[in-house]
Amino acid sequence: MNQRTILYIEDNEYNRKIVRQLLGRTPYRLIEAVDGEAGVAQAIETLPDLILMDVQLPKMSGLDATRVLCNDERTKQIPIVVITSFALSGDRERATEAGAVGYLAKPYSPRELLALVRQFLPE
Amino acid sequence: MTGVACGVVSASEVTFRAEHLKIKLEQLAAVVLARSPLGALVRWVAGIRASLHTKLMSAFLVVTLLFIAMAVVNVRTVLETAQHSRQLDQAHQRVAWSQQIEQALARQMHFSVLALLSQDEAAIGKILRENNRFNETLAKLDAAGLPEQHGLVEQVRVSQDEAMSVVADMANAIRDRNIGNVTRDLLAQQERLDSEIAGPVAKLVDTEQKRMASLRDSIAGANRESLITTAGFSVAAVALAWLCGFVISWSFIVPVREAQGFLTGVASGDFSQRIDVRNGDEFGALARSMNHMSAELARLDRIQRDAADELGRLNTRLEQASRAKSEFLANMSHELRTPLNAILGFSEMMVDGLYGDLTEELKEPLNDVQANGKHLLRLINEVLDLSKIEAGRMELALREYSVAEMVASVRGSLRSLAAEKGLAFETEVPDDLPPARGDSGRLTQCLMNLAGNALKFTRSGGVAIGVVLRGDDLVYRVSDTGIGIPPEELQNVFAEFRQVDATVTRQFGGTGLGLSISKKFIEMHGGRIWVESKIGEGSTFYFTVPLRVGETTA
Repeated sequence: MNQRTILYIEDNEYNRKIVRQLLGRTPYRLIEAVDGEAGVAQAIETLPDLILMDVQLPKMSGLDATRVLCNDERTKQIPIVVITSFALSGDRERATEAGAVGYLAKPYSPRELLALVRQFLPE
Repeated sequence: MTGVACGVVSASEVTFRAEHLKIKLEQLAAVVLARSPLGALVRWVAGIRASLHTKLMSAFLVVTLLFIAMAVVNVRTVLETAQHSRQLDQAHQRVAWSQQIEQALARQMHFSVLALLSQDEAAIGKILRENNRFNETLAKLDAAGLPEQHGLVEQVRVSQDEAMSVVADMANAIRDRNIGNVTRDLLAQQERLDSEIAGPVAKLVDTEQKRMASLRDSIAGANRESLITTAGFSVAAVALAWLCGFVISWSFIVPVREAQGFLTGVASGDFSQRIDVRNGDEFGALARSMNHMSAELARLDRIQRDAADELGRLNTRLEQASRAKSEFLANMSHELRTPLNAILGFSEMMVDGLYGDLTEELKEPLNDVQANGKHLLRLINEVLDLSKIEAGRMELALREYSVAEMVASVRGSLRSLAAEKGLAFETEVPDDLPPARGDSGRLTQCLMNLAGNALKFTRSGGVAIGVVLRGDDLVYRVSDTGIGIPPEELQNVFAEFRQVDATVTRQFGGTGLGLSISKKFIEMHGGRIWVESKIGEGSTFYFTVPLRVGETTA
């Protein structure tokens, strides 16, 4: 069984660390990017099985990056989960509109995150 | 119907014609003023430094003086005519007397002949009687006569005296019976004298008649003259009255029209214009006052506009400052939540044993970290909500929801808290509620806040949530048997950072923002929130929201 790859695009060091340690004990392979542009490049290069996308990113916002990936022939079939730090009304709608299939509000519980990942990529 | 319609049409036509005529007359007056010296006269009258009262009274006085002059001339004519009439009467009298003298003379002649023929002394007496009458009349004539007639009268009198001496001779002749010798001589003398008297008398009559004719002519002339003078004065008075009326009225109308145009401009907000009225009367004073008023209004308007501009600028600056503050709060909340995510995430993974099994001693403090971290998160969320509401960036996410499910989720979240405090916690939702539409997340937040507060401030008894549909509105009720709210605080419970007192915050926790945020969410839904409370007995919060928000109800 080939290893499933997850791309986490997040600028905060500690949040990346949480996910790294959370997924360390699972069979998933984690690759990381620290801004929107790098994330898009990484996604096109590695073609992961799932993308976790933070909304507030330097250089290119998470929603814009989601739009780019969903319109790209190579990456448009990859499920994207958007993680927002503003619990704004309408964030879910905006994320869905941009092409995301899942949505998680910060601060998220690691348990919830893992459950969401397993939902998209059953082990 | 047709008759009524015709009536209406003709009435409006009459009005139209009257208007038309009025306009034509006004145009005519304007042309007269512009093209004739009357315009200059009107301007001159307007410029006279006198009050309206003086001008009008002067005009009336001039016309009145004309009438008085006419009356004086007429009275003089009447007096003259009366004098001429009197003179005419006197001339008549004199003519009558002259004629009586003629008659007396004739009778005297007659009696003289008779006396000589009958040789009777009695006839002599008759002659003397006639003579007396003659003399009396002659004396009257002389007294009333004109000076130029005096000579004629004297001539008559001399002849008469001579005639009387002849009569005396006759009487002597009759007494002496000596008639035959003197009769012819006496008669001849008498006839001569008679003709001597008759001549002047006839002349007298003639002059008097000529005089009468001239008097009659002069009376007729005076009458004619009086008629012409009266007519002349009347025409002049009427013309002058018209002229004065026209000139004075236009000297008023012109400034009044100017003022009307000016005031129309002022009423429509044009304070820049000035009125040019050169009247020396009250209208001139009025125009100066109006110019002063206009200048003052323009000044006030400028001040007011400047103030409004200043206020506008201040307001913009305040809005910018307020928005900056709200954005700062929003960003701050975001910055606060990022490390909180790490704290909550790492502690949760520790509790879940991701870093190895936990000892019992570590489990409790780690759970405390989790609980306090979540509380801190709630506080930050509330501050964030409020800042978004104040920045005008809060939007409702309207969708279909079930009231029963919403109430059940609130009950599910708070059930354990109620159980811990040993409080009853009941919910009551009708089974037949139709699907509702609104921001269920925000409404849940409101209900959670109210019910959470109720549980927080109640030590014994219970908390109940109820919902009823009233018309197109859902009415939510959250009642408790808690400490209650003092009447003077009821108005303030929905204000920001308000709790009944500061010690409550320390004792029960909370930011004091929950009710204020709930109120704003409910108002954004088009509803309202209020509270009824009694100290020591408990409080009941009510809020209403439309069943279907954002849909027009038929």
